[in-house]
Amino acid sequence: MVKKDLSITFMGVKFPNPFCLSSSPVGNCYDMCAKAYREGWGGVVFKTIGPKHYLIDEVSPRFDALTKEAEPFVGFKNMEQIAEHSLEENLADLRRLKKEFPNQVLIASIMGSNEEDWEVLAKLVTEAGADMIELNFSCPQMTSHAMGSDVGSNPELCKKYCAAVRRSTKLPFMAKMTPNITDMCVPAIASIEGGADGIAAINTIKSIINVDLDKKVGLPIINGKSSISGYSGKAVKPVALRFIQQMKTHPQLKDVEISGIGGIETWEDAAEFILLGCKNLQVTTGIMQYGYRIVEDMKNGLMHYMDEQGVDKLEDLVGLANKNIIPAEELDRDYKVYPEINNDKCVGCGRCVISCYDGAHQAMEWDKENRRPTCNKDKCVGCLLCGLVCPVGAIKPGERVLKPGRKAKNLSKMVLQESVEKL
Amino acid sequence: MSEKYREEYEVGFSPRLVMEEASRCLLCLDAPCSSSCPAGTDPAKFIRSLRFKNVKGAAETVRINNILGAICARVCPTERYCQAGCSRSGIDKPIEIGLIQRYITDFEDALKMDIVEVKEPNGKKVAVIGSGPAGLTAAAKLAEDGYQVTIYEKEAKAGGYLRYGIPEYRLPNQIVDKEIKRIVEMGVDIVLNTKVGEDIKIEELRKEYDAVIIAVGYSEGKMLPMFENNRKVIKAVDWLKKCKDKKGNVKVPENVLVVGGGDVAMDVVTSLKLLGCPHVTDVVYEQFSEFKASKKELENAQEQGVTIIDGYVPVAVARGGIVKFKHRVIPAELKVKADLIILAVGQSPNVENLGVELEKGEINAKGVRVPDTNVFFAGDIGHGEKTVVWGVRSGKEVAFEVKRFLGGKK
Repeated sequence: MVKKDLSITFMGVKFPNPFCLSSSPVGNCYDMCAKAYREGWGGVVFKTIGPKHYLIDEVSPRFDALTKEAEPFVGFKNMEQIAEHSLEENLADLRRLKKEFPNQVLIASIMGSNEEDWEVLAKLVTEAGADMIELNFSCPQMTSHAMGSDVGSNPELCKKYCAAVRRSTKLPFMAKMTPNITDMCVPAIASIEGGADGIAAINTIKSIINVDLDKKVGLPIINGKSSISGYSGKAVKPVALRFIQQMKTHPQLKDVEISGIGGIETWEDAAEFILLGCKNLQVTTGIMQYGYRIVEDMKNGLMHYMDEQGVDKLEDLVGLANKNIIPAEELDRDYKVYPEINNDKCVGCGRCVISCYDGAHQAMEWDKENRRPTCNKDKCVGCLLCGLVCPVGAIKPGERVLKPGRKAKNLSKMVLQESVEKL
Repeated sequence: MSEKYREEYEVGFSPRLVMEEASRCLLCLDAPCSSSCPAGTDPAKFIRSLRFKNVKGAAETVRINNILGAICARVCPTERYCQAGCSRSGIDKPIEIGLIQRYITDFEDALKMDIVEVKEPNGKKVAVIGSGPAGLTAAAKLAEDGYQVTIYEKEAKAGGYLRYGIPEYRLPNQIVDKEIKRIVEMGVDIVLNTKVGEDIKIEELRKEYDAVIIAVGYSEGKMLPMFENNRKVIKAVDWLKKCKDKKGNVKVPENVLVVGGGDVAMDVVTSLKLLGCPHVTDVVYEQFSEFKASKKELENAQEQGVTIIDGYVPVAVARGGIVKFKHRVIPAELKVKADLIILAVGQSPNVENLGVELEKGEINAKGVRVPDTNVFFAGDIGHGEKTVVWGVRSGKEVAFEVKRFLGGKK
């Protein structure tokens, strides 16, 4: 039975574990957050609280899922805006949560439409007992253009609103970034300059997830129409990791603490965000599909990973992968690695042959009689597409060779992935 | 109890489950499934269509190749054919190709798709004797190319063994009706209650039609001499016919002995159980290692609680329905007393007055044509396995040869 300390300090606040509900439908009221705390989440970001004058009026239905073959949720689309309960109800929920769960972290997410809103909201949630604040600069489906991702893609507004919040609270706060932008570092730096202590990334990606082929309208259909809105889930993880890595390696942001968000479902996803520099993690889509209970395996799996890595403090894993993400022009291009085919594992489907021919370099040849592939090294470029498509993991990186005319080096010392197998 | 008999035993796939099953398919380069169907089915292609959300395209692939696609999907012993070489077996178990095909043909039916195109009439006429799988397939393949086809069927309804043999829980007559309707809508005429050789002479057909195809099938159950004239004994095909005719509304006694171990025997024992017979004992000549019935049907029978005793041969029958068996190898004897004895020991054809000769149950001629005549033959009396899928294969083959013979388009 593995037992590791998952606690970690983020923006000066100690979390029992890094896993938090993100500001979204999953943390919409006291009951939900209380249940999440009881099931072991380290913190919750209570669903974004807006100004009193901004009335929430939601559509029905409001979600859709991108599927692939038998996979029900590859990605997820959400049209819901910020908390629909009254300001008073939300503040009462915050007070009650903090009182009943003093050891777990309560983060209030807020969103205003002008400086005054931000100041007022920051003050109110501070008084209600929040441990920290998240500024929602990034919801892409707001009905007001003075709020949401239109703010997050405008660095001046980010800075101005962070400054407003800084004036009215002493609590640590982070700015939640929108990925609907070319360079996230720009608004992130502006937010830090405005007084933010940390960054949360990413919010959802603007999307049209599916189109109804008969009614000729995007999904979900709201009385014959649909809108662009936020895309989340497993499919966005690579986009989130990229933005986070870029911020964590930017000279002006490298020491800024980040709460990672985007498609986290398993401990492996979580570990990836941590290795790229996140000290805190937030989850929504995984919970919407599977429930709060997924935190059990994320926590336990992470403990086992720490155990395997010989690490006692989660902190020790933070950011370890960042130094290994380098510009493409700096990569070692002197060698190639040929596929190694395990004929005992091979079931003879020939998928590697198809993909190599149609998608790569026609190097994988087919022994019709024995139904087994062989690699023609004269043609093979070492792309290893074959290994990625193999359904049984029978192909892995094998022999390494120096490209002609390159300076000799010790090929056996090169660090390569051991497998390209996808489970 | 007859509800159980009338309900399809195997549950079909839902859209989500069929996609899960299609996702298990490795989409092989050389797809062993597609080269092992006697009827030329291309599962690799229709599974890929399904996987890429083109169910209509999948239905076209199934139907254009096999006019009895919905029937084969249900009754084919796929473990012996398409599923036998499935690459997925290298990981766990073969893809459920029959069930996937059933999903596709059910989809086709639900959407009332009309897939097969019929060409303009070419003025040639062909008669088909028998409306089993071979006769129906041959008729459809010819009709598709503009031949005017008339099927002569001795029974009151078309379908042959499909209608009167295979039990409802495996192949509902509703499915048989739909498949035949498709063929009738292609322009095939079916003359019922007409036995060629009795009600009409084959010579007349040979004159009236450009070609005649005999596809009478193995309609007669075999009898063992010791059971002849025994009032407790009924032949399996006759009993199955009665069951299917009456939609399972038949009385079954308390204690039934079945002799035989092929798919027909399995149909009998499982039907008996589904109809509420408490004690069904099946004594089989073959030992389990050499069993003839498909694994699936054997499993169904065992699941229903049939007592199966392998390796015994009947040696005598005494009064009161007591049958004595001896083991084929070891010194062992067995006596079973039953209220009813059903013999499932094989079938044979009846080609009386059809002007053809049989040798070992098959027409004594090479290929599919009686030499120097316009008479062709297909199905069980042709050369090859005696299964539905071979009937389809044989029907396609004979249609091809008739077209060549009559100089029509291939």
